Amino acid sequence: MTRFEDLYTEADTFLHRLDPRVKMASVLMLSLLAIIMSALTYLLVLLTFIFVLLLLARSSYRKTTFAMKFVLRFMALIAILWPLFDPSGTPVLIRLGPVVITEPGIWRGLASAARVGCLATVWYILIFTTSQRDLVRGLVKLGLRFDFGLALAIALRYFPTFGTVMDSIIDAQRSRGMEFEKGNIFVRARKYVAVLGPAIVSALKTADMLALALQSRAYGARRNRTYLRELNMRPSDYVALVAALAMFIVPAIAKYAFSIPI
Amino acid sequence: MNVSIAAQSPPIISLQNARFSYEGGVEALRGVSLNVARGENVAIVGGNGSGKTTLAKHLNGLLKPSSGKVLIGGEETSTTSVATLARTVGYVFQNPDYQLFCTSVSEEVRFGPKNMGFGHDDESALAERALKLMGISHLREQSPVSLSLGDRRKVAIASVLATSPRVLVLDEPTTGLDSVESAQLMATLGVLRSEGMTIVLITHDMRLVAQHMDRVIVMSEGRIAFDAGVEEAFSDPDRLKRCKLLAPPITVLAQRLQAQGLLTEGATTPLQLVEQLVRVRGEQQ
Repeated sequence: MTRFEDLYTEADTFLHRLDPRVKMASVLMLSLLAIIMSALTYLLVLLTFIFVLLLLARSSYRKTTFAMKFVLRFMALIAILWPLFDPSGTPVLIRLGPVVITEPGIWRGLASAARVGCLATVWYILIFTTSQRDLVRGLVKLGLRFDFGLALAIALRYFPTFGTVMDSIIDAQRSRGMEFEKGNIFVRARKYVAVLGPAIVSALKTADMLALALQSRAYGARRNRTYLRELNMRPSDYVALVAALAMFIVPAIAKYAFSIPI
Repeated sequence: MNVSIAAQSPPIISLQNARFSYEGGVEALRGVSLNVARGENVAIVGGNGSGKTTLAKHLNGLLKPSSGKVLIGGEETSTTSVATLARTVGYVFQNPDYQLFCTSVSEEVRFGPKNMGFGHDDESALAERALKLMGISHLREQSPVSLSLGDRRKVAIASVLATSPRVLVLDEPTTGLDSVESAQLMATLGVLRSEGMTIVLITHDMRLVAQHMDRVIVMSEGRIAFDAGVEEAFSDPDRLKRCKLLAPPITVLAQRLQAQGLLTEGATTPLQLVEQLVRVRGEQQ
C-alpha cells in the first residue's frame, strides 16, 4: 500500500448506501460530539461506537490497518505526553525534578487521546464508505460549483498517481547515488529539491494534458449540466440524519442546558 | 559477446531463486535465477505485468528480494545500499522527466558523479565524456525541461553514464524516440558494449532486440519463461505467443520463406535475411 492510496473499499453495506450528504452531516455531528465531551467514559463509548461503524463498513483489512496505524500511534503519543505537561490536580503520582505527574493529568491525557481518536477515526467512516465521485457529487449537490467539484475530484483521483510518481522520482535520484537519509535536517530537506523539481514539472504537464483532454471532449460546452445519477434522499437517509442530529443535540442540551457532565 | 563465451566469465549479475512480493501480496518475482557475465548484452522482454521492471529494480537494489539472493559484482544487494550499488549499476528510468531537475544539462549530468564523491576534475571529465557519447555536448547550457523528449531521454542516459557504471540497465529507452534517434542510441550502446560495459535492456521492441542484443530473457508471470540467444528465442512463434510476445517481422518473414522451402535457415535481422537470400540464389545458380 502506498502512502497515497484511496482508502475507499467497494462494498454493499448500509453505510455505503447512505447518501453522501447524510454521511458528511453525521460525521460532522459525531465530531462535534467528541469536541464537547470531556469525560473519558463517554469518549470511550463514542470511540467504541465509531469502531463498530468502521467494522460494519467492511473496509479491507490492509487499508484499515494502514489508516489506523497512524491514529493509534498519535493517540499513544498524546496519552504519554499529556501528563508530562499537565501537572495540575492531586494526588501527585511521580515527582522527578521538574517533572510532576498527577492522577488527574493521566485521566485528562487518556481523555484527550480518546477525543483525538474519535475525531480522526470518525472521518474514516466517510472515507472508507464513500467513493471520491460520490463525495464530490454530494458537495456539488450541497452548493459547491461544479467546476470546483470537478477540480476536487481530479485532485483526489490523481493523488495516488502523484504518489507513485514521487516514489519513482525518489528511486531515480537514489539510482544516481543520492542518499536521502544522510546529513542533518537542512541538508536532507535541500536534497528533496531533486524530487520536488521533477514532481512539479510532472504535475504541471499532467494538468496541461488533462485540460486539453477535457476541452477536446467538449467540457464546458453546455452551461446547464445533467447527471446520469441524481442524488435523492431516501427514507433511510432521513432516519440516519435525524439519528445523527439527535446524537449531538441531546448530549449538547444535557451538558449546556442542564449542566450534566458528559 | 557470444552467449557461450559470456557464460564462462564470472557473473557480474547473479540472481539465485529470487522472490519478491509487493505490499498487498502481489508476487511479482517467483523464484528467478540467472547469471549475466561481464560485457553481456541482455534483453529482458515479456508482456505487461510479467515482472520485467521488478526484476530490473532488483539489479541496483531499489527492490530487495523477499527471499533468495541477488548478487551484483559479488555483493549481496539486500545488505548493500542503493548508493553503493549505483557505482556498479546505472539505471535509466523509462520516463526521463523523473530524474531531470537541474537548471542546465551540464549540471544535471554532473549530479550523479557529485553524489558519488568524484573530485571536481573527474566530475567534469566524466560529464563531458557522457555528453559526447550521447551527442548532446551542444546542449550543455540549456535547461533540460525545455528540450524535446528525445533530447531529454539522451540527457537522462548521459546523467547515468556519467556515474561510470559497469552495468547499464535501461527501461524502455527508445520510447518516444524516432527511428533515427533509436538507431543512434543503439549505436551508442554498441560503443559502450565494445568498451566492456554490460547492458541490460528492458523493452517491448522486438526488432530492437533482434538487431542489437545477444541474449533474450523472456519473463512471464514473475518467472523466466526462457532464456536463450536471439535466434533461438525467436524460433518458436507459439512459445512467444504464450508469453504475450511476437517475433519481429523479419523473423516471421524468414520463417514463412523457410516453410516454403525458399530459405534454409531463419533470420532475425534484415541483413541476415538478405545474406540468406543471396546464398540460396547462389546455390541455385
